Amino acid sequence: MSSIKNRKSAIKNMQRGLHRFALLVAGATFFLIIAGALVTSHDAGLATEDWPLSNGQVFPEMVGNLFWEHGHRMVATTVGLLTIGLVILLYRWVFLRFVKRLLGMQGHTSLHPGEPPQWLRRLGLIALVGVIVQGLLGGLTVKLMLPLWVSTAHATLAQLFFCTTVALAVFTSKSWVQYDLTVEEKGTLPIRYVCAAASATILLQLVLGATLRHSATWDKHLPTELLVAHIVGAIAVALILATATFLILRRHPEVKFLTRPATIAMALVGLQLLLGVAAYLTRLKSPDDPQPLHPMVGITVAHVACGALVFATTIVMTLRASRALRSAPSWVTGEVAASRGI
Amino acid sequence: MFKQMKGWFALTVILSLLALGSSCGNKATNEATPETATTGTPFTPTGKEGTVTGVIAYTGAAPAPKKIDSSADPVCGQSNPNLSTEDTVVKDGKLANAFVYVKDGTTADGKKIADYTFATPTDAVALDQKGCHYVPHVLGVQVNQKVKITNSDPTQHNIHPTPKSNPEWNQTQPNGAPPIEKTFARAEVLVPVKCNQHPWMKSYIGVVKHPFFAVSAEDGTFTIKGVPAGTYTVAAWFEKGGPNGTEKTMQVTVPASGSGKADFAFGEAATATSRPGGLQMMPAIEVPMIARH
Ligand code: HEM
Ligand code: HEM
Repeated sequence: MSSIKNRKSAIKNMQRGLHRFALLVAGATFFLIIAGALVTSHDAGLATEDWPLSNGQVFPEMVGNLFWEHGHRMVATTVGLLTIGLVILLYRWVFLRFVKRLLGMQGHTSLHPGEPPQWLRRLGLIALVGVIVQGLLGGLTVKLMLPLWVSTAHATLAQLFFCTTVALAVFTSKSWVQYDLTVEEKGTLPIRYVCAAASATILLQLVLGATLRHSATWDKHLPTELLVAHIVGAIAVALILATATFLILRRHPEVKFLTRPATIAMALVGLQLLLGVAAYLTRLKSPDDPQPLHPMVGITVAHVACGALVFATTIVMTLRASRALRSAPSWVTGEVAASRGI
Repeated sequence: MFKQMKGWFALTVILSLLALGSSCGNKATNEATPETATTGTPFTPTGKEGTVTGVIAYTGAAPAPKKIDSSADPVCGQSNPNLSTEDTVVKDGKLANAFVYVKDGTTADGKKIADYTFATPTDAVALDQKGCHYVPHVLGVQVNQKVKITNSDPTQHNIHPTPKSNPEWNQTQPNGAPPIEKTFARAEVLVPVKCNQHPWMKSYIGVVKHPFFAVSAEDGTFTIKGVPAGTYTVAAWFEKGGPNGTEKTMQVTVPASGSGKADFAFGEAATATSRPGGLQMMPAIEVPMIARH
């Protein structure tokens, strides 16, 4: 009896440890996105022509804009190491089994209880590949002198990597692992689909934002066509996210597991719209400034960071919706919809 | 759900490619045609060359220079405590740092100036980084003439020209490093140069096929020497007024061993006139250089 209890608590500890580490990686990545955005806003990307070293050194004197560029590289290195740590945590049983087999020792051939499932381990590996490719793209953008497509790919992959680390934190969380209240979708428009559509629209908006931002340094005016596309994208994001939040609050007001990310995402998108307008206004003026100055730097960086948060919370909401909701048989859907007039 | 997501993903990818495509499209139109003509008549001075001289005026109140915050690199503040912007340097209504050059025209014997070839000077033009700004702020070189870049500051700089027709490059020059020598193979007025270490640092290099160019001095005056007799379109370029500065042109006739006059004016409602020399007059045309990306 007590041994079962011990085992259960051991599993719990393992899950909690993994979750905490995943949270650490996600938090560090958010900080890295801020550090990266500071590089762009200061036009510091080419403060050194050099990569992977900075001016031929591991630790150059970080004066002028090199502070931002080299600082970003150091934070990125830390995140890379943390990601390796996370993969080691995810694979430690696989590794132990492998070593035991090599040494000809008898031991578990089956999965260790509490061992993360294969798909979760693989997600960790995907994150590792992501961070490596991202580092290479970072180097490429320096070597090629910030061509639009590399800088945009670097900014977009940063957001995708961040959302992978957030997903890892979601999948290892207690609320996810222990969730057992799956309910059927109500209404004709399944919430899971609306959430997935919101995530995809935001990703598109992030790509548009990155293309816009990397089309003009602080001393140039932003291209109008891209700006208009980005504003149209913002309206689409706001509408589709509002629909998802509305449906969740209306149909499942008691399911905190869903309502919480939905309301947070909605609040963040409101903030993001304000920051977007402020970013536009400060960028309108910045070409007349002698150098990149506040509030332009602070506001554009905040807009990039808040964009990452909007994306991450929407991903959390989408994943949780897929966990908490399942399709209803079609005849029920029709009836409920008819009775509710949805 | 996965099917749905796949569809969205495909849509996202397509739209982002379109977005990228549209933004890259602009670049393609900027590609310049190679213009280092290797064929043509070599230009040989006859000894009867003249000059184009003039004064660049700035009408109206000039914007005050803006103070630069150089605190990110303490060396800059120590060596140059009054660092400020140099885009509109005006003294007594006269504008410094305007780039004036012969843009086009025909010599007295009926040959187009563009049909001549010119020997590349062997001496290099100097560009120094001193007190965390470029000295000079505007300079001219001939195609393939060397620019010798030095760093007189006890800190590191990176030199990063962003031309449209010539290849872009970026090179770090730590304090004490030897001079960097570079050339530009194509004519381009003007190539912006920046330092990503100290983002306020800007300089402009006018790359011209022939030696008929000058930069206005602090009193707004300039002299283009060695110009063969003929009738020319002379252009003056000023850093402000458009995304790539403003260019004004006028027709000037240079008599043999004589002087043609080309006075320009920038600033509020400025209209320039070409004064005597007994020559053809034509109002200057103001071209905001949007199309020249
Ligand atoms: C490994 C994880 C990395 C992440 C998550 C990351 C993330 C970012 C982000 C979010 C930006 C800002 C984009 C924007 O504001 O639009 C950025 C910019 C930048 N990053 Fe990274 N980065 C990473 C690694 C690196 C590395 C190793 C380098 C090495 C050279 C690098 C070089 C740059 C440069 C040069 C910029 C400025 C680009 C520009 O101004 O166009 N990054 N990064
Ligand atoms: C749902 C709403 C929005 C999202 C998710 C969003 C996201 C983003 C992101 C992520 C970037 C930078 C991308 C990168 O480099 O990594 C960006 C750039 C930008 N966004 Fe938005 N945006 C939104 C709404 C708006 C609105 C309403 C405006 C206002 C007119 C706006 C104006 C801008 C501007 C001007 C930039 C470029 C900033 C710069 O040049 O530094 N955005 N956006």
